[in-house]
Amino acid sequence: MQDLKLKAAEKRGVHQLGGDNLVGWDEVTQGIVLTSFEGDATDVAHKKAEERSYSDFNSYTATVASWRVMKPVFNIDVCIDCQNCWVWCPDSSILSRDKQMLGIDYDHCKGCEVCVEVCPTNPKSLLMFSEYEDLGDALASWPEKKKKEKK
Amino acid sequence: MAITSIKNLKEFSTNNDRFEGAHTLCPGCAHSMIVRELMNCTDDNLVIASNTGCLEVSTAVYPFTSWDTSWIHIGFENAPSAISGAEAMHKARKKKGTLKDGEAPVKFVAFGGDGSTYDIGFQWLSGAMERGHDFTYICLDNENYANTGGQRSSATPIGAHTSTAQAGTHSYGKKQKKKDIVSIMAAHGAPYVAQLAPNKWKAMAKGFQKALETEGPCFINTVSPCCTEWKFEPKDTIGITDLATDTLMFPMYEIIDGHELNILYRPKNILKVEDYLGAQGRYKHLFKPENKHVIELIQKNIDDDWAMLQRREEARV
Amino acid sequence: MAVEFEVNEREVWDGNYAASQAMRQADVDVMAAYPITPSTPIVENYGAYVANGYVDGEFVMVESEHAAMSACIGASAAGGRVATATSSQGFALMVETLYQASGMRLPIVLNVVNRALASPLNVRGDHADMYLGRDSGWIQFGAFNAQEAYDLALCAFKVAENHAVRLPVMIHQDGFITSHTAQNVYPLSNEDAIKFVGEIVPVDDMLDFSRPVTYGAQTEEDWHFEHKAKQHKALMDSMSIIDDVFAEFKKVSGREYKRVESYDMEDAEVCVIGLGTTVESARVAAKEMRKEGVKAGVVAIRCFRPFPYEEVREALRNCKSIAVTDRSSPGGAMGAFYNEVAAAMMTSQSRPLVTNYIYGLGGRDISIENLKTIFREQKANADAGYITTDIQQFTNLRGPKLGFCKTERN
Repeated sequence: MQDLKLKAAEKRGVHQLGGDNLVGWDEVTQGIVLTSFEGDATDVAHKKAEERSYSDFNSYTATVASWRVMKPVFNIDVCIDCQNCWVWCPDSSILSRDKQMLGIDYDHCKGCEVCVEVCPTNPKSLLMFSEYEDLGDALASWPEKKKKEKK
Repeated sequence: MAITSIKNLKEFSTNNDRFEGAHTLCPGCAHSMIVRELMNCTDDNLVIASNTGCLEVSTAVYPFTSWDTSWIHIGFENAPSAISGAEAMHKARKKKGTLKDGEAPVKFVAFGGDGSTYDIGFQWLSGAMERGHDFTYICLDNENYANTGGQRSSATPIGAHTSTAQAGTHSYGKKQKKKDIVSIMAAHGAPYVAQLAPNKWKAMAKGFQKALETEGPCFINTVSPCCTEWKFEPKDTIGITDLATDTLMFPMYEIIDGHELNILYRPKNILKVEDYLGAQGRYKHLFKPENKHVIELIQKNIDDDWAMLQRREEARV
Repeated sequence: MAVEFEVNEREVWDGNYAASQAMRQADVDVMAAYPITPSTPIVENYGAYVANGYVDGEFVMVESEHAAMSACIGASAAGGRVATATSSQGFALMVETLYQASGMRLPIVLNVVNRALASPLNVRGDHADMYLGRDSGWIQFGAFNAQEAYDLALCAFKVAENHAVRLPVMIHQDGFITSHTAQNVYPLSNEDAIKFVGEIVPVDDMLDFSRPVTYGAQTEEDWHFEHKAKQHKALMDSMSIIDDVFAEFKKVSGREYKRVESYDMEDAEVCVIGLGTTVESARVAAKEMRKEGVKAGVVAIRCFRPFPYEEVREALRNCKSIAVTDRSSPGGAMGAFYNEVAAAMMTSQSRPLVTNYIYGLGGRDISIENLKTIFREQKANADAGYITTDIQQFTNLRGPKLGFCKTERN
C-alpha cells in the first residue's frame, strides 16, 4: 500500500516552492508575518494532519518532490511497524497512524534514503527505486529474505 | 504539564508532527530529526526563536513556514534575547490578564547552530542563561558554518577540514580543540544542561522533556551530522551519529544544577576513533602518514575526556 | 496592581525623568534595557518604579543594547507594549536590530538621548546617533525640552500601535542639555495619560495559541522589494495619523504639536531651520535680529522621519535664504538634514538659497552670537541674490574658517 489517500492529501503538495502565484501585492502582510493555519488552531498538537486546516502559507501545502532522483518504496508485507523510519525521517514524510506505518508522503520526501538505512527487517520493508519505477513493478521485484552470512 | 508518553517508539509515533515537510534543509539533514523530536515530545504550546542558520533559512522562506507553532527569527546572534523578551511578555501579560488564554501551557525554546551558539551569539546566550528566563536553548551542533558553505567555528574539532581551516600540504585542518560549551553553560548555574544525539532517540526525547519541564534556563547541545560539509552520504546520517556516540567522540551526558553529572550512554564496545573519522570526507587527510599524530591526539583527547566524565559522575561534581 | 505614583500638576523634571514617567504612565508591559550615558537615568528611574511596585510590567536588564532591542522585538511580537532607551554607541550597537524591528512592523518605543559617536569618545550631545537611525524605517520625533520629551513619548505609543502604522517610534532629546536639565513639566494625571495612550490591541500575537504565527521569514529578490516598499508606504502614510494623534493630544493637554513648527515665519526673509535644543536658541537669536531690522524666523522639525517635505516647503515658501543646521559630522557630504531641506526647496516655486552649517559636534555650544552671525550671512545672501559664503560652513570651530563648495548662481 503506497501513499494512502488520507484526507489531507487534498491540501498536501499543491504548491511549488517559490510560490510566485500564491501571493500578490495585496497579500504582502504587515511585517511579512505568516500564519500556519486557517481558523482556530487551538490544540493543533492533538490533531492529525488530515484533521487540520493548514493555511496556504504552511509548507505542508508545498512539495519538494522534484528534488528526488530515487524514491523509497514501502512494502507493508515485510514491515514490523517499529517506527524507526518515522522517528528519523528528516522530512516528516513517514505516514504513521495508530502505531502503524502506512506509507510515504511523496510530496515531502526528498529521497535521502535514511528510512531505508534504519529499517531493521530482513528483507528491508523500504527500498530505493528510480523515481520513474512503477510501484507495482518495484514490489514485484522485492528481494527474498537474506540468509545470515557465515563468518 | 501534559507531556506525551514515550515508553517506546510505537507510542511516540502516535504524536502528530508540528514541524512540517517541504522545508528546504538538505536531504538527510539531522537538524530536522532533532527539531521534530523536540516538537513531538511535548503537546504544550511552544514559542520558538531561531538564530540565523541552516534551520532558519530552510523553514521560513516566504511565503512558506514549516512551523505549526509561533516562531520568530531576528538575527544570527539574538534568538536567546528574542525568547527572553517573549518569556518576559508572557509573565507580564499573565499578571495583567491580557493573554487570550492565560491558562494555556506554554514552553519557550530557542534554536541555534554551533556558529551562533559557540561564536557570534555566545554573549546573547550567556546573558539569557544568567538572567534565568524559563526557556530551553538547543544547539544544533554540526561543527561548522554549514549555511555559508562550511567554515570553521569554535565547535569544529581538531583536524577537521573546513573552508577556512583547510587541510593542505602545510596544514592538517583545524588546529584548535572544540570549545566545551556544555561545561560553560553548566557553569552559568543552569538547572539542566545536557549533550544528546539523535541516534539515541529515547535518551534525547527524555532530555528534551526534562529541559522543558525544568523551570529556568536549560541548555542542550545536540550533535547534528551534516552530510554536506562532513562529506558522507545522506542515508548515513544515523550511522555516522552511531559512530560519534560509540567512539565517544560525542559522549552523551547531563549536568543537573551545575554539579550532578550523569552519563546517559555507555557504549558496550567503545570503537576506535578511526572508524568515525574514516567515514567522513572532512577527515580524509588525517589518514596520510604525516598526519598520524593528529589521529593519535584526537584519540587521546577522547580518552581523557571520557575518563574525566566518569570521574565527575562518580564524584558528583 | 501597581501602587499609585502621585504626580502634581506641575513638576520639576529633567528630560530623562520626564521620559521615564511617560513610560510608567503608559503601563509598559516589558522594558528590556541596557544603561548608557546620558540615557541611563531613564532606565534607572524605571528600575526604581519596579523596585517600589509602581509598575506591573517586566523589567529585563540585558547584557547589551543589541540584546535590549532584540528582547524588545521578541516581547513586542508577543503582543504587549514595549519600550526602552539608549544613546550613542548603544544606539550604534542596536542598529542591526532597529531594521529588524521596523521590518517586522513592531510598535516599539525607543527614547534616544542624543550623543556623539566615537571616535574620539564623547558623552555630550550631538545628532550622530539620530542620523544613524534615519534609514532604519522608524518614525523619529524630536523633543526640544523636558516637557516635549514627556508629551511626545505618550504620543509615540499611540502612533506606533495604530494598526495602520505598526511601526516603531523614536523620541529624540539632546544629551545633557535636555536630558539633565530640570525644568517645569506639566504632566497629565495618571488616569488621563493612560486613557490617552489607550490599551494596546495586539496584531499577530505570538502568545495567541489559536493562531500560530511565523515572524522573520526570509525573502529574496522575489519578495523583499514589495515588503520594503510596503513598509516605506506605511511610514509615508503615517503622517496623517501623527497629525491626528497630535490633535488628540492637544485636546487633553492644551499643548499643540506639528510635524513642522514655525516661529516668526509670517514675514521672514531669512531663517534657521533646526533640530533639537538649538531651536530654542535660534528663536532667541531671531528675535534679536528683528531688533536689528532683519526679518528673521525659525523653523523646527518635530518629525524627522517620515520627513515632512511638503510642510517644510510650505513653511519656507516666502523665505529668501535658509540656513540648515546639522549637528552631526557630515562624513564627506552636505549635512543629511541640509540634503532633505534642499531637496524639498528644489521643487518649490521660489527655489530660495539654501546653506548648510555644521555645528555643535560633541556637545560644543552654539551661542546666540553664533546664530546671529548665521542670520546675518543669510541676510547678505538674500540681498545679493546668491550664496555669498561657502555652501557648507563649520560654526564655532577653532582655527581658520572651514567651509566647502561654492554656488554656481549669481
